[in-house]
Amino acid sequence: MSVSFLKSNSKPFQLRGIVARLYSTRKGEVSSSDPQKDTIRRYLYPPNIRNKASPTGTWRPDVARALQRAIPSVQAHETIERAWLLHQRHLRKKRDAELQRKFNCMRQAMQELEEIDSRLFREANKQEDPRARSLAEVEAMKSMSEPEKRAVESRVRGLFPRELRIPTDTPPKNGWPNEWRAFQRPLA
Amino acid sequence: MLALRHVQPRALGLARRSTTKQVALASTAVDTDGSQSQSSGEPVTPQKKQSRAIRTRRPRISLQHPREWNRPLAFGVLPAFDEALKVIKEDSIVLKDEVKALEGAIAREKETPQPDQHALLVLENKLRILEVQSEINFPQVRWKCANGMADMSKAVDRHLLEQRWRKEGALDLLMERIHQMKVVPDVLPHIHPSLDLRVNFPKVKSNTGLQAAVSKAVYEHVEPGVFLLPEQTVEPPKIYTTVFHPEERLYTLLMIDPDFPDETNQTFQTYLHWLHVSPSPVPNLNTHTAYIPPHPQRGTTYHRYTILLLPQHSRLSIHMIAKDKRAGFDVRAFMEKYGLDRNVGGGAHMWREVWSEGVPAVYKDILKTAEPKFGRMPKADRYGDFRGKRRYV
Repeated sequence: MSVSFLKSNSKPFQLRGIVARLYSTRKGEVSSSDPQKDTIRRYLYPPNIRNKASPTGTWRPDVARALQRAIPSVQAHETIERAWLLHQRHLRKKRDAELQRKFNCMRQAMQELEEIDSRLFREANKQEDPRARSLAEVEAMKSMSEPEKRAVESRVRGLFPRELRIPTDTPPKNGWPNEWRAFQRPLA
Repeated sequence: MLALRHVQPRALGLARRSTTKQVALASTAVDTDGSQSQSSGEPVTPQKKQSRAIRTRRPRISLQHPREWNRPLAFGVLPAFDEALKVIKEDSIVLKDEVKALEGAIAREKETPQPDQHALLVLENKLRILEVQSEINFPQVRWKCANGMADMSKAVDRHLLEQRWRKEGALDLLMERIHQMKVVPDVLPHIHPSLDLRVNFPKVKSNTGLQAAVSKAVYEHVEPGVFLLPEQTVEPPKIYTTVFHPEERLYTLLMIDPDFPDETNQTFQTYLHWLHVSPSPVPNLNTHTAYIPPHPQRGTTYHRYTILLLPQHSRLSIHMIAKDKRAGFDVRAFMEKYGLDRNVGGGAHMWREVWSEGVPAVYKDILKTAEPKFGRMPKADRYGDFRGKRRYV
């Protein structure tokens, strides 16, 4: 009579440590070998025990406690909110006042210029067309290739230069581009 | 450091009663349980996390049960709150200096031989706004107004109460009911209330039985537009107002029923139930045109009863309206005659009523007339000639 001390193992040796897991069933559901059947069964017979709060459901007993931890005092929250908006309002008023002062200074300066020299005044009032090309530029563009022409046309005075390096906290990984040279744009 | 998450719910309760010192003690205690009485000698046992019950109802604070304002969180619990209080205090000081300067400017302008009225008006408006702004951010001021302990002599409190009435739903509800029930085109062309008018009628004790039992002492607030029983409205209501102006102004009280049936013209007419003109020598509101209780006739659909408080621009002497002139009362003509339509503002309220078993009592005791019963005219019987006769002869 052989008494087996070893636990009889139906699985082959290689697969003994690996547990086959079916992802078609949720916790508490019996898994069959067919995941399609599991899905169909879940939709035909949905669980009707409502003991968990869900964000979209109507039973939410956990909300009050969570809110109390997040916002311990409504009065404090409102006071902080009002103080912050007040602070922002002060900043806004200061900026607006400074802007107004600058505008008034500019207006005063233009009035005085008008009295002093009317030709310079007219020159100062001329609107600048940012896409205007000077004669020198037009001449230079005749001998340029297509990509160079496009590059010249897209660079408008007053815009950010395309080659501007965005300031970062740490230096670049690939080091500094020491061989970089600025694109020569003929100016008026 | 401090386990702030644990401390906060307890700090709430403690800050209300005790000073900052006790809370600091609690926050540094080893056990986060609410009890502070554990001495150092006793062993600190790991206690189960006790879940404190969450307060879902507002505490019962009002003028009748007053309470002092305390900081909601003690100093140091929430640094943002302390910083906020500092910012608000600094802003208030700056504004109060501006208020003082403005008051000086107004006084000087008034002393001049020919004060510029327009400039004075502008300055006074600005002064009012600054007075309110200098105090409106303080949590103690807002807390007092939110808990029924506002001081109506202060501009801030008046402003806060008015904002609450206008923005938190009370005025919106009243206007919704007034417009949905079509009181606005029927009684008056436009109503823009400027004061909070509240009407209280006795509570209904039980609806069963022939006549509803109505409480004699307990008066309940009436939501605008709801149905009331004629048994409740036999006595004049208790009227409460919250006005947002500090000076005394005169108002005329008017109670109208726009759905009184007019048999001769087969239409409806307006019936005047109550009229009272300010100023009255006695605080009794029943000294002018006495209150006649609403009596919606049997067979008519519901009646809308409207109470209006119309602002008077001066003292008026209006004759008492006679009993036979109450039906067919023209509200617009009355207002035009006495100049009541020129001013904006005032107050309004309305409710609805339908015939019930209490109406015959009103007709018998107060009106002393026979109770009418309305219904459709009896239709002529088309086949009257043929009834009872043999048809197929």
